Formats: sequence, structure tokens, C-alpha cells
Amino acid sequence: MSQTFLLEPDIIAATQNVMPDLNNDLVLAKNFLKQQSAATGDSLYDHLVDVVQKILSQSPPDVVDNFEQYSWEVKQEKFRPNFDLLNDIYLSPPQLATVRQVDEMFRLVASKATKLDAGGEEEQELDLEEDNYKPKIQDLVDHNYYFRQAGFGLPASECYAIYISMIMLGIKEPVSTIRFFGKIFGTKANYYVMETDLTLEELDRRIRAFELKDMPGEGEAIDEAKAQAVEEQAEILGEGEGKEPVSKEPVPPKIPPEPVSTWQPPPPIPVERPGQGINRKVYWVCNRPGEPWICLPDIKPDHVRVARLCVRCMTGELDSEVITFPPFEGTEKEFLRAQIARIAAATSISPQGFFTYGSGEEEEDLDMEEGGGDMEFNLNPFYQGHTLKDLMDSNLTYWVHHGRHILKQGRTLWWNPNAGMEEGLEEEDDEGPPPVEPEVGPPLFTSLSEDARIEGMSAWSARVSSTLSPERAMVVLRSNLWPGAVAYATVGKKSECLYVGWGLKYNPPNFSPLQLPVPQLEYPIGPEIMEMADPTFADEEAYRIAHLPPPPPPVMMEEAGFGEEIEEED
Amino acid sequence: MNIHKLFDYKEYVNVNGMMFTDELICLLQNSLTLLQVENHFLNMQYWGQIYAVDNDYHIAVGINADAVADRKYFYTTDFKFWGLLPKSKKKYKQLSLLTSFPFRGEPSMKTKVLDEALEENHPDRCTIMKEESRLAATISIISEEAEVCARGQLIKQPSGTVVLNPNFYGLTAAEAKQLKSYLHIRPAQQRWNTNLLTRQDYNYSMDFLDSIDQDIPSGCWNLSIEQAGSMVYLKSLYWPGMMYFHKVRTADAGFLYVGNGRKNLDVPFLL
Repeated sequence: MSQTFLLEPDIIAATQNVMPDLNNDLVLAKNFLKQQSAATGDSLYDHLVDVVQKILSQSPPDVVDNFEQYSWEVKQEKFRPNFDLLNDIYLSPPQLATVRQVDEMFRLVASKATKLDAGGEEEQELDLEEDNYKPKIQDLVDHNYYFRQAGFGLPASECYAIYISMIMLGIKEPVSTIRFFGKIFGTKANYYVMETDLTLEELDRRIRAFELKDMPGEGEAIDEAKAQAVEEQAEILGEGEGKEPVSKEPVPPKIPPEPVSTWQPPPPIPVERPGQGINRKVYWVCNRPGEPWICLPDIKPDHVRVARLCVRCMTGELDSEVITFPPFEGTEKEFLRAQIARIAAATSISPQGFFTYGSGEEEEDLDMEEGGGDMEFNLNPFYQGHTLKDLMDSNLTYWVHHGRHILKQGRTLWWNPNAGMEEGLEEEDDEGPPPVEPEVGPPLFTSLSEDARIEGMSAWSARVSSTLSPERAMVVLRSNLWPGAVAYATVGKKSECLYVGWGLKYNPPNFSPLQLPVPQLEYPIGPEIMEMADPTFADEEAYRIAHLPPPPPPVMMEEAGFGEEIEEED
Repeated sequence: MNIHKLFDYKEYVNVNGMMFTDELICLLQNSLTLLQVENHFLNMQYWGQIYAVDNDYHIAVGINADAVADRKYFYTTDFKFWGLLPKSKKKYKQLSLLTSFPFRGEPSMKTKVLDEALEENHPDRCTIMKEESRLAATISIISEEAEVCARGQLIKQPSGTVVLNPNFYGLTAAEAKQLKSYLHIRPAQQRWNTNLLTRQDYNYSMDFLDSIDQDIPSGCWNLSIEQAGSMVYLKSLYWPGMMYFHKVRTADAGFLYVGNGRKNLDVPFLL
């Protein structure tokens, strides 16, 4: 091909020449490619130019294999407006809202830290007193490192922010110890949960408030007053109706009085006071680190009972309604708290000897029988750690529970429902309910080997974190009952548990909702109301024949008959 | 998720508190790269973990020419020997949903499964199932119901084969918030025009799979946006332990299942 391409003006000039020749063909072809599509106003020529330009400038690999995709992307880019009428408006990055919150938290924590620093240099002696108020905060960063080694834990991005927000919790709220309990997923947002002990003053205040609310007299008085009001209202209504029959309407027939239910609800199981039993720890939640911590309310035994009978996902909104059967009294706040109480009771585990009763500093005479169910326990300073082999023992005898077992009553301490009546019982032996067998759960520090098995699988699976380097290895236990609950223990003195999950218990084969009770009988079953088949004609005929009056005795035999009778009478 | 990117994805993975340890990643990368070379796979992915009583199973997927139809699943308990999982049979799929026993960690173990729906003397009422076939069946069910990809991650070429899109640049923040942008990795079960025409910006090469917003009940997928909108996590309530993550506007995305291989049948009660 000796002929080179012509420039545009030359081509146009050449089109004057109508003789078939190469330039003419080229022009025709180019004109065809430049035809604008009616829909988009775009032409293939421009598109090809753009595609080739993009391919050459970006030089992606193997364009020919996904050329269609490439061409599609070029088209897509073209439809994006490259001029913006709102050019001057700055769109802030989406992270801004979160950053604002976290920033506020950082400022608060930082200001506190510098203040403490300055104070510490100047007046250390005075500061000692202040130190008493400083809450004990679990070293989450350290624990998370060990969890990560064991294959569980939190991503680094979350872990540090949570740790700082724990400090913020310690600054803002009256708490004395803080421990990260875990993370609970919800359908709309997730919860981070902190487990804390309150300071003594706050605890006292809460106990006083609790006792005030729980005064036995008041509640009943209110109820009575209510009942009276209702009765009065009914009377008023009744009187009103009494006067009405003056009108000409027919008097309705008198209806017998409505039956009154004789059923009495069983006495409510008393709530455990703050700082005791299931309400021993106070839990705080938030949806994102940096948000203010919200205190979860103390729960009633009934909450635990209902939570055990139903399954539900958290939504992430504390005030959302909980619709279950049997009905749950309260919002998601209470439900979340009940689930946390159940999880904490079932999955708080530690190696044997990690915790001990009392302060552990000296040998104390510990009265195990007296209140053994609700005793304080503390870190054991004499804990030396166990060997890897012991911790991995398939029976898990070296691991113990340090969460208090929740009884069927929904309390950790058994409450005798007949306590009030017992004095009366001694006098009149036969009447009154029989004495109730106290319900006893496994005591604290029961070995995991006692745990119930699920479907032939033990409730916990032990795994060693590393097979290649036994020196660095530690043991991690994974709960099969509460998927997401884990605990680790090193050969040294470290151990912690964590829960990250949906807050759902594993119940094979699957959940079946509570059945409605059988409807009660309206009448006692008896012959009057029994259903039976109507007699057929043949039955009736047989009955009629069987009950015919006896045929009149034949006259012929009259005398003899009389004679016989007389004889018999003799 | 791609085994060669496990170290990059380490911080993104979080299934019920489970995270990758460095040792696990090293073991996986070494043994799976060898496996990939042996079998000439174009792409090798770590699929997840099935909890068992004695040893946990680790599952990997090898992908050849076709990213949907041409997948091979492998399992191991010790990272030394990867066994090829057999093709799952329909019968075992049904049985594995019935049985409630945990996995034992021993592929050759045989378990008896009682199908209570059948009559007393039916020959199939009590069937013996090898744990290997149960594992294969469980994994194929999970893959079918819960394995997802972002729209555009897989594309269908004009020749009909499905490949991983090399030019996938990620979903935009707005797209990532919609369930519609996530597709099941399985041969489509809906009619093709359902998948194609329910969106305005349809594209023949992308919308050939079922999108997950059609799944029943609505709400069985949990889409959460974290790290101030830059990460998207997708979890299935039916398969607790399943996770799909996607970093918005990047090609980083991956599927992972870590759990006991039991379907959660309580989903209608949970919502």
C-alpha cells in the first residue's frame, strides 16, 4: 500500500470526486461510523476512539478476553456528567459522623489522662485517695492479643476504640471494675457489652431505690385502690341501668351472675436486689464505640423464664418491642439483659484455681454452707497455671465455671415460695401446700466435665492454638451450646472469656414454640351430655317388643291359678 | 476467599468472633498453593471450616475454567492431605439436613440416620451415611444457599463460560447497601428475565445469577455496614457462621463459613 491516509480536509475535497476509489470508500465508512444513534446521540466512531484511547493509556492485561466488559465500562463512564452544577459544595466523607463521636471520646479520655499525669507529679500523696475512685479496667488490648493468637477475638480496628471507650465509661459512670463482655449482633446494629461492678455509693443508692420500690404495702394498696375504683364505676353503671327500664323497650331477661374466676396467680418470685444473684453485675451497651454507654436495667426472674422459652434476634434498637409467646414484659433492653445473664451464667469459665473465694490473700475460714451460692470470689494470687496437657484434657476437669448457675426459678439463690406459710404449717399439719424441695444448682467452680452434653457432643470443644510451636501454644475452649462463646488460657497466668455472636442458644434439632394449654372443659363429662348414636328403627322396635305389657292370662286356667297361688302363699 | 490474599483479608474476617491466626494462614497458603499446582486450578479459594468433635474440617475450593460449574471442593483435618470431596447426592443432602449429630472429624465414620417421615418398615427409614458424603452434602447445600458474590464479581462471557471478573472495581457505597447487589453463586433458579429485568441498569453479562433479595423470608440476610461505611458484611441467619465481606470500591471481597454445619431452622421465629 503505497497510498497513505489523507487528512480530513483533503478527504472532504476528495469526496468531490465520485469515482470509486479508496478515499471515497474510507469517507463513506467513516460517515457510517459517525452516524449518531437516535437514543443517545453517541456515535460508534467516538466510542471506538474512547475505547482505544482508554486501552492504550491504561494498558490493562488481556483486553481481548474481556473486551465487551471494557467497552461497557467506557460507555458507562461517558454517561456520568463530568460537569457538576454544585461544584462548590464540599461533600464530607461518610465517616464524618463516626469520627465526630470518636473524637469527642478521645478528647475526654486524653484530657483526663493529662490531668492525672499533672496531678501525679505535683501531689502524689493526695492522689492516692483519688486512685480509689479510679475503676479497674480490664486490659482488653492484651487479652485481645491472646485471643487473636488463639484464632478468635476482635479486629484491631475495633479493639482499640473499644478499649478507649471502656476508659470513657470509667470516667463518666460510677463503676469500679470494667470488663469487656462481648459483642452481640443485631439485625440493624450490633451491641458492644461491658460488664461492670458499681461503686459502693452507687450500689447503695440503687439498693435503697430498689427497696423503696419494692415495699410490700404500697403496690397492693395501689391495686386495691384500683379495684375499688373499678367496682365503684361498675356500681354507678349498674345504677344507671336500673333507672333506664322506664323506656318502653322490652326488659331483657335476667341473666344469672357472671361466674367469678377462683384462680389466683402464684405469688411472684421476688426480684434479686441490685448487686446480688443475676443482678450482681451491671451491663452497659452501645452500638458503636464512642457512643454514650447505656445502662441495662436489672431484670426479674420472669424475664429469664420467658427468654428461655423463646428465640429472637436482637434488632440493635434498645427500645424495640419484643413480641414473643409467652409474652415478654419489657422491651429489648430487658431481653438483651436476660440473654446476657444466661450467657454469662453458662459461659464464664476459667482454669481451676484461677479464682478463689474470699480475697485469697490469706487462709480464711470460709463457711461454705452459709451463702455459698452468692459468695464473692477474687483472682487467686497463688494461681500457677496448668500445663497444656491438663488444660487440653478431654474431660475438661481442669476448667471450672465461675458464672453462677441460674435456677429454673430465674434466680441464682433459691427462694422458698412457702416461706411465709411455714409457721402456720407447724400448727395445722395437713393443710397448706407441701414443703417444697429446694432447687439446687451446681455450686460455683464446678468442673466443666459436669456440663450436660448436647446430642452426644460435650458442651465445650478444646483446641490448641498452635501445632507447629508448642512453646507459644495456648488452649482455647469453644462453647457448642452458645456458639460464639470462647475462653482461652495460657500455660502462664492468663485467662479470659469472650462472647461474639447472635445471642442465640444452640438447641438441636430445632426450636419448637411453647404449646398453648389445653382448653378447659365447660361441663363435667356425664351421661347427660355424652354424644351417642340415635337408635335405629330396628332398635326401637326391639325395645317396644321387649317392653310390651304382659299378655293377659288365659281365662281357662283361672281356678287352677288361684289354687296354685294360694298354695304358694301357704 | 482467595488464598493468596489471606494476609490482606485477615483484619476483615470476623465470624462469630473467629479470626485467622497467622499459623492458620501460613499453613493454608502453603498447602493450598501446592494443591493448586497439582490440580492446575486457575484460582484457589479457602471456603471455611466445619466444626467437628475431634478435628475440625477445613474446606478449600479449586476453580477452573468455569467459576460456577467447574468447582472442586477439598477437605482436610491436618493440612497435610487434602481429600477431594465427592459429588453430593440428593439423597445425602436430604439426610444431612435430618441428622442432628455433630460431625466427628473422621471422614470414614458411618452414622445411622433415621428418617421419621417414612413408614415403619420402609427400607430407607434407617440409612447409613458416611461422614464424607455428609460433609459433601452439607457443603454443597451451604454453597447453594449461602455462597454469594457481589454483582459484577462474576461475569458471563459471550461464549457462555463464567469467569471471575478481572476488572471488578467493587460496588459503590449506594449499591453496597442494597441486597440486590449480591448474587448467589449457583446455577440460576429464577427465570432469566426475572434476574435481568428487575433492575434498570441490567447487564447481560452480570445479571445471570439469582440476587439474594428474592430469598424467603425477607430478612434472612443480614447486611451490616461497618467502619463508617467502608466495609459491608453479609450474614445469613439460616447458616450462622457464614460471612461475606466486601470493601466498598475495591476488589476485596470474600466468602467464609465457620460453623458446625447445621442449618438454623428457627429463622421464622427470630424475625
